[in-house]
Amino acid sequence: MDIKKVLNEATKEIEQSSNQLDLQNVKVAYLGKKGKITELLKSLKDLSLDEKKSTGAELNQLRGEVDNLIKIKFNQIKVEEINSKLRNESLDFSFPPPNSISPKVHPISKTFDEVITIFGSMGYSVAEGPDIETDYFNFSALNIPENHPAREMQDTFYIDDKDKDGKPFVLRTHTSPVQIRTLLNEKPPIKIIAPGRTYRCDSDSTHSPMFHQVEGLFINENANMGDLKGTLIEFCKQFFNVQDLKVRFRPSYFPFTEPSAEMDIAYTIVNNKIKLGQGDHWLEILGCGMVNPIVLENCNVDTKNFQGFAFGMGLDRITMLKYGLTDIRSFFSGNLNWIANNGFSIGDF
Amino acid sequence: MKFSYSWLCEHLETDKNATEIGDALTNIGLELESLSDYSSYSKFVVATIKDFKKHPNADRLNICKVDDGADTYQVICGANNVKKGLKGIFAKEGMYIPGTQIHLKKGKIRGETSEGMLLSERELNLSDDHEGIIELSENFKNGTSAVEALKLDDPIFEIGITPNRGDCLSIRGVARDLSAKGMGKLKPLKYEKIKKLEFESPISWSIKNDDNSCEYVVSRYFKDVNNTKSPEWLQKKLISLGLRPINALVDITNFITVDLGRPLHVFDADKVGKKLDMRLANSNEKILALDNKDYTLDVSSTVIADSNNALAIAGIIGGDHSGCTENTKNVFLEVAIFNPNSVAKTGRSLGINSDARYRFERGLDKNMVLEGLEYASYLINKICGGSVSKNTDAGKLDTNEHKIKYDFNYFNKVIGLDLEPQIQVKILKDLEFQINERSDNECDVLVPSWRNDVKNNIDIVEEIIRIYGYDNINVSVPSSSKDEIYNIENSLVNKKFKTISKLKKTLVSNGVSEVITFSFHSNRAQEILTGDTSLKISNAISDDQSFMRNSMIFNHLESAELNFKKGIKNIQLFEIGPIYNSSQSQENILSLLISSQDDTNSIYKSVNFNFYSLTELASKLISSLNFDIKQFNISRSTSNIYHPGQSAEVHMGKKLISRYGKVHPLIMEEFPKLKNTYAIELFFENLPIETISRINSINISDSQFQFSEKDFSFIFEKQQNLYEVQRYVTGIDKNLIKNVEFFDLYESKDLGDSSKSVTFRVTIQSKEKTLEEKDLEQLHKNILEKVSNKFKAKIRT
Repeated sequence: MDIKKVLNEATKEIEQSSNQLDLQNVKVAYLGKKGKITELLKSLKDLSLDEKKSTGAELNQLRGEVDNLIKIKFNQIKVEEINSKLRNESLDFSFPPPNSISPKVHPISKTFDEVITIFGSMGYSVAEGPDIETDYFNFSALNIPENHPAREMQDTFYIDDKDKDGKPFVLRTHTSPVQIRTLLNEKPPIKIIAPGRTYRCDSDSTHSPMFHQVEGLFINENANMGDLKGTLIEFCKQFFNVQDLKVRFRPSYFPFTEPSAEMDIAYTIVNNKIKLGQGDHWLEILGCGMVNPIVLENCNVDTKNFQGFAFGMGLDRITMLKYGLTDIRSFFSGNLNWIANNGFSIGDF
Repeated sequence: MKFSYSWLCEHLETDKNATEIGDALTNIGLELESLSDYSSYSKFVVATIKDFKKHPNADRLNICKVDDGADTYQVICGANNVKKGLKGIFAKEGMYIPGTQIHLKKGKIRGETSEGMLLSERELNLSDDHEGIIELSENFKNGTSAVEALKLDDPIFEIGITPNRGDCLSIRGVARDLSAKGMGKLKPLKYEKIKKLEFESPISWSIKNDDNSCEYVVSRYFKDVNNTKSPEWLQKKLISLGLRPINALVDITNFITVDLGRPLHVFDADKVGKKLDMRLANSNEKILALDNKDYTLDVSSTVIADSNNALAIAGIIGGDHSGCTENTKNVFLEVAIFNPNSVAKTGRSLGINSDARYRFERGLDKNMVLEGLEYASYLINKICGGSVSKNTDAGKLDTNEHKIKYDFNYFNKVIGLDLEPQIQVKILKDLEFQINERSDNECDVLVPSWRNDVKNNIDIVEEIIRIYGYDNINVSVPSSSKDEIYNIENSLVNKKFKTISKLKKTLVSNGVSEVITFSFHSNRAQEILTGDTSLKISNAISDDQSFMRNSMIFNHLESAELNFKKGIKNIQLFEIGPIYNSSQSQENILSLLISSQDDTNSIYKSVNFNFYSLTELASKLISSLNFDIKQFNISRSTSNIYHPGQSAEVHMGKKLISRYGKVHPLIMEEFPKLKNTYAIELFFENLPIETISRINSINISDSQFQFSEKDFSFIFEKQQNLYEVQRYVTGIDKNLIKNVEFFDLYESKDLGDSSKSVTFRVTIQSKEKTLEEKDLEQLHKNILEKVSNKFKAKIRT
């Protein structure tokens, strides 16, 4: 009996199998119930004890080797079959995707979010008021009486409908009426910001009939002008992300604050772009001041015990400055390309 | 307001330069808007035309030989005032010409070389004059710089004056404020009083209106004047401010308006009656004003009138008929105090913005009435000659100065800066406030007559800190307190903004872009959506923005159309913002628009967006706020925004939570390019916002036991609301029924018009054990029986 011959024959037949069925047949032919190796093992019983021992070991090794070769071949055949199937499933990786607009959040939303977060960290909660206001809340209560020249500082939109005083409703020209609404509804201490839509009848590349402002109001026993300066400097440092920020407060006039100030930020022009923080040029950022006691009295606040400050800034303006955007009209055009180029993906929002 | 450095120096003795003055102006609240700087003009020099001849190829051009002191150049010039020996301003090739904004190039003009240019005033941006080239006096040497020759070394300031500072609407007022800042010393006014007031004025005044619109008026009559052109110094001053010199009398009044901030008016005395009245206008009274326009007055306006006509609109503008011309021989000068309110009201209703109105409505210095009268008399007499009458007046000049009791500590409390009383007092005195100290803490402050804006303690604090300097205020950052943090966490508005952020994130991650559009919509949108007509904007900029919107749908369709025109075929956008139901009701909603036009891309697009995709998106949005759309009542929408057969409305009780559907074809007729357009509106403010941050959806706790699925098919009435079926089936066994998912809807003729066949899959799972076959069968049977009984549904096999 030539074990080596059987091994050679089996190896050859395994090699020559090209599919699972052929291989299965080979397996049966050698290792099946009547297979060659099985038969050889059966014939062991006719041998002497010593022969049994030595031949048995050789035959078992042969069976193990053949079984192993079949397994290896089986795996080879399986991989080849899958590969051949996958070749038939091939798609055209080079077919380009459709042009799609990448969805973004509007830059103003990002600014809203940041303003609420930064002032929130300083203790300001958010308040709100309607866009359609009464003449009283938008002007008179804020110490802007009728025929006052300050009314002409702001071009007002009017609504046909009239309020209970018989005056036409106005589209609020600033977020300041929220100061009045809050002072009338809550007792000091008060610390709020009020972001929202505001309106003036004006339209060019720097003015839009609708724009956004945020109002701030802090009333307690002793909030003073140093606190006002500190609060706004801190806000600007965080918002514009400039630690070394050169600012200037200069006297101005708003009927509802006294003393009033405007805050400027220094900038330089680098490669035709505005760089905020340092330099000899100034950019107006916001208006602010100590709340005029007349306004507090209009809202029945005891001015002997309470005082504080207010500020208002254009959210579109600070957004434009921060991101170097130039035309406010594009903010509200609904142009999705503009949003895709200038907006923020949710990871950055 | 505009003024030159040299004019300022006529009122202010100062050693500060223009830049220092400019900085100081901003620091005291008179914001410097611009400071002209002509230093770059020193490259342009004086040059003489040595000789010239006609251009051989052009009638109107001359070839000039020009000498700039260093060299001679050939210059082609088209000016009609070219002559031999003329001294003008010369620019060499390569130089930048500010008025035309071009760099001069050496070149040939009609075949002849030109090596430079002789300049007009317009080319130097000095005026609009382009009649000819500048002609200078012969005294200038060739090569002298244009800055020196044209006296451009006098910088022009332009400053912004806030409405409270009427006192600074004059050069003297600005000088006075600067002197308080330590920028120099205010000089006394230089003029002489008329020595002899020779006669009684033949014209007299009476104030006939009793509404206080005119408090006082005073006049003088000037006899036998010679109203010529103004002297050069006066003309130059007016020109430096961009005003046009007219004649001496008019120029003098304009000059005093700017110099002292005191508007006054001159009548040609021969064109007015002998008795002049301050009276209210008659209804529909007409006047032709000096601006050559006819105005129709009403009874609220004050006029100056003789017995025949209105001669001037008080405090605003004079009448054309009674104005002074070069033929005027006798003059009646009027100086008055008009009420700021009535001037403002009349000025605004007539739409006249005059220098006089601007000053009157900001309040004038009452002490300047008589001084203005004297100053004007001096100038008229000096320039036009003649003799001057005694004063004639009416009303009462109340020059009582306002007194305020001031507490020095108030400054420290408001500003957060300990400023000693002595320093406070010094600043106030520099501002010409008079101080009577009462105690260490208090004083009486007497407000100068020109500071009508200073009325109480806080105004005094502002004056002190304005001069002391905002830069000197200590900076402190108030930190947040525990109470404040508690307030923020519990503020409904803060919660609302969090909700809004969540919605934005959900939408953007679902491929929808955020837009912000105006709160307005068009006449047409208003008509179609039948909004509240009282929401019309009375002074709208255009018909497209004439109403406050009661829906964002039109804005978004317009935006979709715009994007479509830019080539974007699949439009998905949303906005979170206000809509307006009436002037006293607005709400913030989410509005979303999906419009997919592109059906060519067969490879990437598998299923067209349809009503059911929209339902899925609406459900996702609501889940992102931790609510489950199935919790609510869902019915067909009755809104005229949507296709009546492809839309739905979600309600919680009576509150509308959402509407969605295909946009109504009638609306889409306005946007013919857009197809397959859907919208969702989410009225998120109607959700119980205080619980919005809590997990509030159906409990879907995991079970480790095997689950089983079973499909059920029923034939329902066509109108059957399947959300009801879903809710009912879920309720049959709340412990075992995990999920009811609808997946097939079938309508056909075989079923009849009033029926639909629906299949849903019920997932059954116990938390306690693996269910046995008989338990499942019992539950299946139960579902079949209950559903068919409850909804009169046929079981389909």
